[in-house]
Amino acid sequence: MIKFLLSLFKPFRWFIEKMDADYDQFIRILQLKLTLDNRQMKGLGNHSKNETENAMTKQSFAQIMFGIFFAMFLLMIKSPFTYYYFAHSFLMVMMAMMIISEFTTILFDTSENVIIQPLPIKGNTISLARNAHVLLYLSMMAFNFSVVSIIVAITKFGIVSALVFLFSIGLNVLFTLFLANMLYLVIMRFASGEKLKNLLMYFQIVIAVLFMSFYQFGLNLVDKTQIQNMVLSVNWYTYLIPPAFFSGLVDAFTSFVFDTRHFIFIVEALIVPVAGIYLTGKYLTPVFNRKLMDLEQGDRVSKVKTEKTHQSLWYRMMLAAFVHRQEEKASFKLVWTMSGRERLFMQTFLPSLGFIVIMIAVQFFRKSSFNVDKLVQTPMYLFILYALMLVTASLPTALLLGNNRHASWLFKTMPLSSPAHYFKGFIKAAFARFFMPFYLLVSVGICVLWGYKAIPDVVIALLSIYLITLLFYYIQQLAFPFTNEKRASEGGANFIKVMGLIIITVMLGFIHFFLLRWFNYANLFLIPFYLGLIYYVNRVFVYKKINWEEVDEANAYS
Amino acid sequence: MDNQIIVQIHNLEKRYGKKKVLHGINLEIASGQIIGYIGPNGAGKSTTVKILCGLINDFEGDINIFGKDLRTHELEIKQQVGYIPENAVLYESLTPMEFMEFIGEMRGLENEVCRSKAEALMNIFEMKSNLNQRIATFSKGMRQKVMICSALLHNPDLIFMDEPLSGLDANSVIMVKEMLTHLAREGKTVFYSSHLMDVVEKISDRIVLIDQGKVIADGSFEELNKLSNDENLEKMFTRLTGNTNHGEKAEAFINAFEK
Repeated sequence: MIKFLLSLFKPFRWFIEKMDADYDQFIRILQLKLTLDNRQMKGLGNHSKNETENAMTKQSFAQIMFGIFFAMFLLMIKSPFTYYYFAHSFLMVMMAMMIISEFTTILFDTSENVIIQPLPIKGNTISLARNAHVLLYLSMMAFNFSVVSIIVAITKFGIVSALVFLFSIGLNVLFTLFLANMLYLVIMRFASGEKLKNLLMYFQIVIAVLFMSFYQFGLNLVDKTQIQNMVLSVNWYTYLIPPAFFSGLVDAFTSFVFDTRHFIFIVEALIVPVAGIYLTGKYLTPVFNRKLMDLEQGDRVSKVKTEKTHQSLWYRMMLAAFVHRQEEKASFKLVWTMSGRERLFMQTFLPSLGFIVIMIAVQFFRKSSFNVDKLVQTPMYLFILYALMLVTASLPTALLLGNNRHASWLFKTMPLSSPAHYFKGFIKAAFARFFMPFYLLVSVGICVLWGYKAIPDVVIALLSIYLITLLFYYIQQLAFPFTNEKRASEGGANFIKVMGLIIITVMLGFIHFFLLRWFNYANLFLIPFYLGLIYYVNRVFVYKKINWEEVDEANAYS
Repeated sequence: MDNQIIVQIHNLEKRYGKKKVLHGINLEIASGQIIGYIGPNGAGKSTTVKILCGLINDFEGDINIFGKDLRTHELEIKQQVGYIPENAVLYESLTPMEFMEFIGEMRGLENEVCRSKAEALMNIFEMKSNLNQRIATFSKGMRQKVMICSALLHNPDLIFMDEPLSGLDANSVIMVKEMLTHLAREGKTVFYSSHLMDVVEKISDRIVLIDQGKVIADGSFEELNKLSNDENLEKMFTRLTGNTNHGEKAEAFINAFEK
């Protein structure tokens, strides 16, 4: 498999050498990277071979499913130019997302510098190999995403058109990779070291939220009859939109029209990606590399920030509200302090919070007769409150992510009667620091709109969300916080979890709703009920569930 | 043994952002020497070594190695240089053999030559049986041995070592020390950066002490000792880097617990 992939680069030997790289070294580095990936997949650690291979299949499956959803939308479009235009735009957005969320770590990997830099490796070889590595994965992904659209294209526009489409996808992949390189360079101009990493993180969060909102609003608001007959008109600026290049190219070979308009598109589609890749290899990567070299080195010395040790009032309030045992205090404080600084955690958790907000907003604005006066008559706020429970899908998982694998020995060496104390402190801190402020804000908004009678409901919903969060955290993999590296393949498993969570949410929401309908203040029964459950979970269940044997299984102390 | 100058460092400066970590280092190193490069934590030792090995490209001043400018002839210089980093960072999921094959191929060695060299070197460290096991299962000392072997694979003329003995057992330490002397006798140059004063004192032909990015002492231990009469390198080190009240500090340390 690796040999086959490597042989794909053979025809481009001249190009690689033109980029000031050594072809043999390039192939060797690429081979090394692929071997490493392959081994990691098979796994030495606690993940068995089957599990991870399954995860890979799951991810491909999820991508193909995503492609099907999109192809269903494309199916309605009659004009080939419009069809390919949307297909390419979709692909570009998906790839950009993927580069930002998954491949940033590969492009910014400085850990191997110590091995590779002292070797006599010619000029751009390393960064070229790095880009080629990403390119391989990106191509695979692009193929997964568009395989269904290609099949649809065969039935709609014929085999020639579909083949050209496949070719144009390759060009699109190259172009997107070039764009990503450009983007990173621009960001690196403005920041370096720790600041750069933080900037990238916020950038990722914003892009993720923007994308999800685009998707939600886009699919919900567009009138379906309009799509059917939609034909994009070509204006002067259309020649500047990248997806238009590629769709113009495919369109020319679909309708076999080669007028000036199509000719411009064809030239653009062929020239721009190639020129882009040439530019990337020749001029961008050397700059990129130099910056990268300083990234790791400079961090330690140049910008040393002194962190505040003072504890905010909010912290003290939350500590008093959530923690009643001395043993939990330290772990509560640890997660409270670290969660704000752990990038992987923020990157995973904050977009999901944004997503929930968008989802709620979409539900509101979708109804054409949006009317606040009418809305206040309905218990719509219950929907908002319970929708927030979806946060549980990401908070416990996000808490696992981080690069502190080597620090987990610490917990094991402490004289503590049960590891459950740790885990209680962890989840409480994350909940108190990231969810509580958000929830309070929403609650205040609800109380303003619906009046003080909503207060008991706000409390009940909070209790139920807290309960479910605790349960989800205690029953998931018992790894210590911020110790798991992000795996590219968690999409599938998460899906099942989210489905389960939605069912629970709807159930609890309806119980609450029916009690309200039954008679006034019937909902108050829920307060002692949830309090009792929380008490049970935190005092009995957690100590039964979490013991050292289970914790040891999930963690490697090295 | 001809004492050709093979490393020339002239006015080397390095800054990270606004902070300067090397304030004009000047050094000339002749072949066949073992240079002990010492200094307190954060003095700029590792930075110097990293610059000389091409890990950091952005510096001020001039460096000539083998009579060639490091900036313009980086590849040719790297071909003859070996580097043993401070922390053995290796590709965990490779075996030592695969790792060394990779290193060898990057340096343009024939695969056969590379394999037999790797075997021979690992055999010296009694690790021949581990050649085809994954590095992930190795202890710290074993990793360090792999690191040392892979740095010597191409028979470099100039070897940079950053704390190479960390994690090695006593037998291996003696062996590496012996090995260094042999290498120097063959005309190879070893640039040895370390905190272990007694080792440096014993093996180095010449000691370079830096503090706060400047060279503050340079010469063989005997030469340096003539000037000051310290009983050993450790004493000299503490005197020159300005930390003499160790006794008081240790006492303060104890007192911190008694409150």
